[in-house]
Amino acid sequence: MPAQTIWMIRFSLIYLLISVLIGSLLITHKAINIHPMIWSLLPIHFEFAIWGWLVQFVMGTAYWMFPKKLEGERRGPILPAWIMVCLFNFGLISLVIVSLVLDFSVAIVGRSLIAVSIVIFGGLIWQRVVTYRNN
Amino acid sequence: MPKVTRWFIKAGIIYFVFGVILALISEFPAIYAGPLLLPVYWHMLVIGWLTQIIMGVSIWMFPRKHRDKKKREFTLTWLTFWTLNAGLILRFLSEPFLPLVQDSILINITILFSSLLQISAVITYIIEIWPRLQPRIKQNRSSS
Repeated sequence: MPAQTIWMIRFSLIYLLISVLIGSLLITHKAINIHPMIWSLLPIHFEFAIWGWLVQFVMGTAYWMFPKKLEGERRGPILPAWIMVCLFNFGLISLVIVSLVLDFSVAIVGRSLIAVSIVIFGGLIWQRVVTYRNN
Repeated sequence: MPKVTRWFIKAGIIYFVFGVILALISEFPAIYAGPLLLPVYWHMLVIGWLTQIIMGVSIWMFPRKHRDKKKREFTLTWLTFWTLNAGLILRFLSEPFLPLVQDSILINITILFSSLLQISAVITYIIEIWPRLQPRIKQNRSSS
């Protein structure tokens, strides 16, 4: 398992745990009123569950399991793969911090970083959508 | 494919079917249950279906670090399966009634218990999967 996958899946597990903890807090608040500000955590619950957990886990696993190249670096260039990991997580964390401090409408920086990360992912994976069988 | 993976995937398929049916039902204006069913079918799809499939397949496919510790894996993976599904079922049976039955102790306790079960499931899953996230040990193979 490549180091990039290890880090992406580790991050995704942490996001899953945080998302479930926030979700539990939200549903508990629905049953027993804790504090009205708790609803402001709802977008973070979504972002961590969808982007942090599901999308990142799938990206990390695809980067690991798709067919490897026969020549050169087996999973493509290393540096862009690390940039993909860093931009995705930095983007997501900045998105959440901005949303907590300011507002979700100011989340363009975080979303842009995630978008760039996904473009890099697309480029890395595109070259590996191949078969080595002779049909 | 291990038995626990098959159970995860079959349970996931059931939630997928129910989630889509509930999403369809919530679209009928005559029923007027959209706001009550929205969190239910979203969680059926995201946790019941997608997360459960990911958990089941990763338990099957991710390289095992403790090949000699099958009992540990057996306990953790089945504990994940049962706590997750018990938590989800309790949640789906109680959450739609929350706005209808205000201050019902039974519903509130069920909600709290379901939350704890779901958190436990995620923690046991992480305890099982985290040690498996290891770089491959390079073996000396003259052919490769």
